[in-house]
Amino acid sequence: MKKERSKKYRLIQALRILSQIFFFSLFLILLLQTRFPGEDYIKNVEGFFHWDPLIAIVTFLAARTMFTAFKFAAVTIVITLVLGRVACGWVCPMGAVQQFFSFVFKKAKLLHPRKGSHNHTTWKYYILIFLLISSLFSLNLAGILDPLSLLTRSFATGILPAVNHVLSISIGLVFSTGWTSLGDGFVQAFETLNMNAVFFQGLLISLIFFGIVFLNMHRERFWCRYLCPLGAFLGLLARWNIMKLKIDENKCINCNLCTIQCETEADPYPEAEWKSAECVYCFTCGSICPTSAIDFHFSARPESIEAIDLSRRKVLLGTFLGALAVPFFRIHPGRTRASEKLIRPPGALPEDMFLQKCVKCGECMKVCPTNALQPAKWEAGPDGLWTPILVPEIGYCEYYCSLCTQVCPTGAIEELMVEAKTQVKIGTAWINKDRCIPWIFGDPCIVCEEHCPVSPKAIKMVEVDVLQPDGSIKKPKAPVIDTQLCNGCGICENKCPVVDQPAIYVTSIGEDRSKKNQFLLDLKSTGDTATNDPYNTDPYR
Amino acid sequence: MKRRTFIKDVTVGSLILQAGPRLWAQSVLPDLASIQGESPAQITKTAVEAIGGMGRFITKGDRVMIKPNIGWDRRPEQAACTNPEVVRALVEMCRDAGAKEVKVMDNPCNPAQRTYLRSGIAQAAKDAGAKVLYCSEHKMKKVDLNGEWLKDWEVYTDFIETDKIINVPIAKHHSLSRVTLGMKNWLGCLGGNRNQLHQNLDAAMIDLAAYFKPVLTVLDAYRVLLRNGPQGGRPSDMEVKKTVIAGTDYVAVDALGLSFFDIKPEDMPYLRMANERGFGEFNLEKLKIEKRTV
Repeated sequence: MKKERSKKYRLIQALRILSQIFFFSLFLILLLQTRFPGEDYIKNVEGFFHWDPLIAIVTFLAARTMFTAFKFAAVTIVITLVLGRVACGWVCPMGAVQQFFSFVFKKAKLLHPRKGSHNHTTWKYYILIFLLISSLFSLNLAGILDPLSLLTRSFATGILPAVNHVLSISIGLVFSTGWTSLGDGFVQAFETLNMNAVFFQGLLISLIFFGIVFLNMHRERFWCRYLCPLGAFLGLLARWNIMKLKIDENKCINCNLCTIQCETEADPYPEAEWKSAECVYCFTCGSICPTSAIDFHFSARPESIEAIDLSRRKVLLGTFLGALAVPFFRIHPGRTRASEKLIRPPGALPEDMFLQKCVKCGECMKVCPTNALQPAKWEAGPDGLWTPILVPEIGYCEYYCSLCTQVCPTGAIEELMVEAKTQVKIGTAWINKDRCIPWIFGDPCIVCEEHCPVSPKAIKMVEVDVLQPDGSIKKPKAPVIDTQLCNGCGICENKCPVVDQPAIYVTSIGEDRSKKNQFLLDLKSTGDTATNDPYNTDPYR
Repeated sequence: MKRRTFIKDVTVGSLILQAGPRLWAQSVLPDLASIQGESPAQITKTAVEAIGGMGRFITKGDRVMIKPNIGWDRRPEQAACTNPEVVRALVEMCRDAGAKEVKVMDNPCNPAQRTYLRSGIAQAAKDAGAKVLYCSEHKMKKVDLNGEWLKDWEVYTDFIETDKIINVPIAKHHSLSRVTLGMKNWLGCLGGNRNQLHQNLDAAMIDLAAYFKPVLTVLDAYRVLLRNGPQGGRPSDMEVKKTVIAGTDYVAVDALGLSFFDIKPEDMPYLRMANERGFGEFNLEKLKIEKRTV
């Protein structure tokens, strides 16, 4: 018998690699473009998410509203119904990362492919069941494990900030060689990239991502095989697809190469049943077969394809755990009592609705021009992990910017144009008179007032009496806040010269999105503030 | 002719030839030019020409730094940053005067990309042939300012490693210094925790102005921010005055700039302090001011 590897499938495999490179590059380019674009409007840089049926369905179930942008997810569903999990093998950027590192580990002899055991490929289905059931009770945990969300978050708050630091150090080295013009060029390009570099949880999120990458040392595409809930969802749809594997048993020499090298334990082997739900159509088997025995063909005829072998007990267990998780996630007081630190981006929906929709992807954190949006720790409760909060000690909400509202893929942050955004109050500033320079020392300082972006200013400088340690009285102008004019942007806290624990600070109270988190009745008076503005005169004239 | 008379004549003659035109020019040129008109670029050019033209300040081959106020993410109509047309006109004049390189930079309060863009200054300056750079932490250096109060501070070296520096502030309201004019503009060259300087702002401003020694100060008062400075926001915060003031004496420029706010120079302690230290004149009556409308 003629021993020859299939040229056709080697070509298809090359095309698949090109496709993965293309989509991963697209993902990266869109993520790098998720920055201040030089105008108030940003294009559809979050587009990848709208093709993701897992996010679409879980968010729909949890929030019980459909974001129309998710219409593309239907395309992914139809493609999977017809052609199987091609999206996993050819499009998914997370899959591309896993496959790339599987390849690297194989070449480095850190991974020795071996025949799968099938015991664990069902994990991902149980994870999916858990996510779907918990979302029925309005708990949206899809973002933690959805591959696009995980990848975007890992890059936005981990990988890119690390790259940013490396670039910055490199630029420093260029300047230290004295080649200033080259350094200047790098600085301008670097500044234009506008990569946020500071994230409290950046290391943790990166470690989780690297953990997933290193799992590929154990099994190829470990994530896709065992864990990915989106892959599981597409696997369920892929059962009836028409692209089928066929082995020419006359050619097959039972070398087992296909099964050993299969990226996802789909068993492309005569003795076992090929599993269409597991196959991601990477065509490794087709190209590696030494006798060209493997072929894929189109056939609508139902064949004996092995169904996903889900244990009924475990499905019930997943369902049970999904439902059981809900009350445990509600123990935290996050939804019943607002946290002072829980300052949400402008346009964020009321907290309940926000948590039902936010998928923790980090797009808003990537686009924020001041690095102010940070992944939450426990401020919003356990299901609010990695949701965006504004941390004034890192950055502030830029007055004429509404980029975060435009890039949110699920509408957890309602899209606002700049004009509307400037009207949104996200919190209120307070003064700690025990630390404020004029209030405690009687010395001049005006930094908070100077930076306050609203007009008329929410911080007024008022002459006050300040008792000095020697009993004398100084009469400085000290900041006093008009809470009605304050929009909670946090620039005052960010710029306060008392840096460790600023003398002026913003808390979430008074935020427009909440009816409960208020301290005065009718905080925002009706009517135009410009016309009944008591400060429309200059006190210094 | 005797040899002695010849030497004497040549010496005297060359002295007259050398010093003469300068003496003559100084006696004629005004200390300040305050020019009013419809076009910000035109009044800028007229103002600089009125005090001797850019050739008086810029020599062929000079590297020039133009320091406008690009502090805030605000549009030109909001009068928080220097008028981009004023900057454009200055870049053009510097290039016409033979400057080898013209840079336009500031260390803003809001993110630089936003302020450079929305103020319109980056585009205007680039169009006119200037290099517009963002400040980089890699070019920040602690330098001896040798001021009376401010001994040393972090400064972006672009503002130091230049042959000539031109200050182009905008006239604005400011709650602490009451107004922000030319001397306050130097804070934009600094890095570090510059917000602490507000605790002794007057002294800081004077020390900085003395350190940077601008060859020319051009105060943009085309639109003047009268309220809610230094950012403003509403159209009502701003008034159109259509004026540009140019001068070499930065104390005098600030003194005349106060007129937009109805403040007397003697009411501003920093001008008196600067005057006492010999940096310039703030008594408008002692100054020769050319006021014109074009």
